[in-house]
Amino acid sequence: MKKIMVAAILAALVLMPGCAKKEEAKPALSLYTWEAMFPQEVLDAFTEETGYPITYSNFDFDETMLAKLEASNGGDYDLVIADDYIIEEAVNLGLVSQLDKSKLSNYGNINPVYQKPFYDPEDLYTVPYGAGVQTILYNPDKVLLDINGYKDLWDSTLRDDIGVIANYRVVNGLALKVLGESYNTDDLDVIQQAGDRLVELAPNIRLIKDDNLQDDILSGEVAAIVGYTSMVTMALIENPNLKVVFPEEGIGFGIMAAFIPSKAPNSEAAYAFLDYIMDPERGAECFEYLGYYSTYKASDPFISDEYKSFLTLPEGFATNMEMIQNISAEANEKHEQIWTLFKNAAGQ
Amino acid sequence: MYLPIIVVVVYSFNESKLSSVWAGFSLKWYDELFRDKSMLSALGNSVLLALLSSGAAAVIGTLGAVGMSRAKLRGAKTIELIATVPIMAPEIILGMVFLAFFSLIGLPFGMLTLVIAHTSFCVPYILLLVKARLAGMDKSVSEAALDLGASELQAFFTITLPQIAPAIASGMFLAIAMSFDDVIISVFVTGVNTNTLPLKIYTQIKTGVTPKTNALCAIVFACSAILAAVSSRVGKKSA
Amino acid sequence: MKTWRFRKAAAFLTALPLYVFTIAFVAGPLVLMVAISFLSRGESWGYVLEPTLRNYKGIFEPAYTAAFAQSIKLALVSTVASVLVGYPFGYFMARLSPEWRSRCMVLLIIPFWTSSLMRLYGWMTIFRANGVLDSALMAIGVIKEPLKLLYSFPAVAVGMVYTLVPFMIYSVFSSAEKLDWSLVEAARDLGASPAQAFLTVILPLTMPGLYSGIVLTFIPSMGLYFIADLLGGSKIALVGNIIQEQMMRVHNMPLAAAFSVVLMGLTSLCLLAYRKLAKTGELEGLIQ
Repeated sequence: MKKIMVAAILAALVLMPGCAKKEEAKPALSLYTWEAMFPQEVLDAFTEETGYPITYSNFDFDETMLAKLEASNGGDYDLVIADDYIIEEAVNLGLVSQLDKSKLSNYGNINPVYQKPFYDPEDLYTVPYGAGVQTILYNPDKVLLDINGYKDLWDSTLRDDIGVIANYRVVNGLALKVLGESYNTDDLDVIQQAGDRLVELAPNIRLIKDDNLQDDILSGEVAAIVGYTSMVTMALIENPNLKVVFPEEGIGFGIMAAFIPSKAPNSEAAYAFLDYIMDPERGAECFEYLGYYSTYKASDPFISDEYKSFLTLPEGFATNMEMIQNISAEANEKHEQIWTLFKNAAGQ
Repeated sequence: MYLPIIVVVVYSFNESKLSSVWAGFSLKWYDELFRDKSMLSALGNSVLLALLSSGAAAVIGTLGAVGMSRAKLRGAKTIELIATVPIMAPEIILGMVFLAFFSLIGLPFGMLTLVIAHTSFCVPYILLLVKARLAGMDKSVSEAALDLGASELQAFFTITLPQIAPAIASGMFLAIAMSFDDVIISVFVTGVNTNTLPLKIYTQIKTGVTPKTNALCAIVFACSAILAAVSSRVGKKSA
Repeated sequence: MKTWRFRKAAAFLTALPLYVFTIAFVAGPLVLMVAISFLSRGESWGYVLEPTLRNYKGIFEPAYTAAFAQSIKLALVSTVASVLVGYPFGYFMARLSPEWRSRCMVLLIIPFWTSSLMRLYGWMTIFRANGVLDSALMAIGVIKEPLKLLYSFPAVAVGMVYTLVPFMIYSVFSSAEKLDWSLVEAARDLGASPAQAFLTVILPLTMPGLYSGIVLTFIPSMGLYFIADLLGGSKIALVGNIIQEQMMRVHNMPLAAAFSVVLMGLTSLCLLAYRKLAKTGELEGLIQ
């Protein structure tokens, strides 16, 4: 056993520098985002065409990314893709560099709906990469009523039959929407009212989780879910009979976006990569893989028919949408409290 | 024990991307896996990290336990308590604190920070298991050896070490498993070039876990089974 | 006298790496954590150097005390179950021939070298409605309707025990393996029943192993929140969940640190209480 371990350590030590030493004509692009954000083909083709190898590192939560970026003072990474609200904080902390749009020949491909967002009101720092809306999806064979909005989730026939995502701003927010309020209210009393409504919803909740919620509606574990676009896409491709509802109370949506950190060691490669994925056809390939809404208007025509209805924004949608933004610390703490109470109530 | 693993392995051959649907036998996920270079280099990083940190922990933990059992040392209880903190404290806060600590003392993030952080939570396993074994172990044998003129080192290597070896081995098995599986601490102390395997697995939350990961687990499982079979063969021959 | 002093110095040198490592890389970060728990939260993130006790007051919100109770309940259930399953297993493993012992040890740990997340997904596939277990039971006609097994307290407990029981087995094993069986025989010869022999000889002698097993199962079970999340559908809020949410979503690092300090204090207390109750210290002395 010992011998094998020693041999393995030696082998690893010999192999590691060997791997790294491959003839690198150009310095690597250090890409920092979640796992599985790009099809392998696109990454490989980028390296082949531009000569930049890619070092793909991952984080689990946006906050981890921010902590790492702070620790390295905006260095280490060349291109980061993360959620909207965290980018606002990164910009405020001075960790993001302004984009030189002259280096992005495909910049005009971006769908204007996703421009000038709250985290980057003048489009100085970011390029969107995929967007999602929170959607209700239900199985009409198992649900007796027609669901039109969040308020229908309180119906007593749905007892122990609903799955929701584990994002407290989204779930607390659906109660806020039922009350006719904004996702981003700082009014502690209003948030408390939403919390009271949520406790009433708790008996209907079977499941709270962030990943693979589509498996649970497909297997019959739950009859309805409140989920992200990618879950809805995957579930519908498997079972087209499921019904999609964009809640009448209002639609929450979020954008993922790419930015170049303030001290990126290799920003040239980052620009090259951004421009590469904004190419209409390649963008379409990425969004089909990712399962989120295409954020590049020029890519929409290239999305295959199978995915088209899921990955392009429906007409006349933008009027009823609201993004979840950063709120005051007190409001945030209140949110966390009503969320914990809601979970406890659901567990009873 | 093996039931969930079998399920994971079986579903790695699933044509469908979803684990709730069985769409027929397919090898496509293995194909995808082997094309994903970052996945394979992450595997290499994880193996190296697990071996280095469990090795370091084995040395530190064993020596510590032996030293403490030999004589009543000042502060031994306190050190022991502090040493077990890394398995007591919630990983998330530990990861965050390590991040703050390393950037405070100016260590660059990479393999070194990973090894230090992992060693810190591997030590308690070795320490506790070796201590449990040393407690009440017959000391007269090693004392007799000393009386007969053996040096401390001789006594340690010929008498004590063979007796505590099973505890060290089981401690290391656990430590390797913990290191090989850790994501919450790693994610904070890793550097640009040192993605680990669990990081790859856990950070798919945006898109959902695909059978590609099942395929990877199946391969890791097969490799560790083979390694174990080989090592028990080798062990038998040398015995 | 001289040799005694020499041996004490030698013992200290042997333990030195542990001392150095522990003080530099465990105590250091730990002091930082305790310090943060007494500071105020930063504007959007991190902490600022303004001392406060607010974080410790925040813990006593009813939502959070419920989570503490929930965590302790789950930890107790899974520790007891781990003892019930793991103790006999470790004990009988120690009685096997050396060859089978090492084989068992390896067989036991291999599953743990693959990702715990993936193994939990394996359990989910088994427990899921119309999943492996449901289908099997329906095929042999035991049930007609799918059971709703997943996302329940028992499912969480199964996952916890599954994850933690090897620690118990290993600890009991390393203690039971060096057991002097002649003592047991002597007790039996002196007329002790098997039960008496177990209670008076075997149990006390394997106590150090049981103790470290409990340390290694009870403590982690308070923090393994992702098991509760996955198998319990996040409906069971544990302290670990709250710390994670405070840190990652609410950005209140000092409050998360305060929770961690309290959690660690609580577990230390449990351990001390156990050590007192089980009197393991005295037992160790008795054997020597």
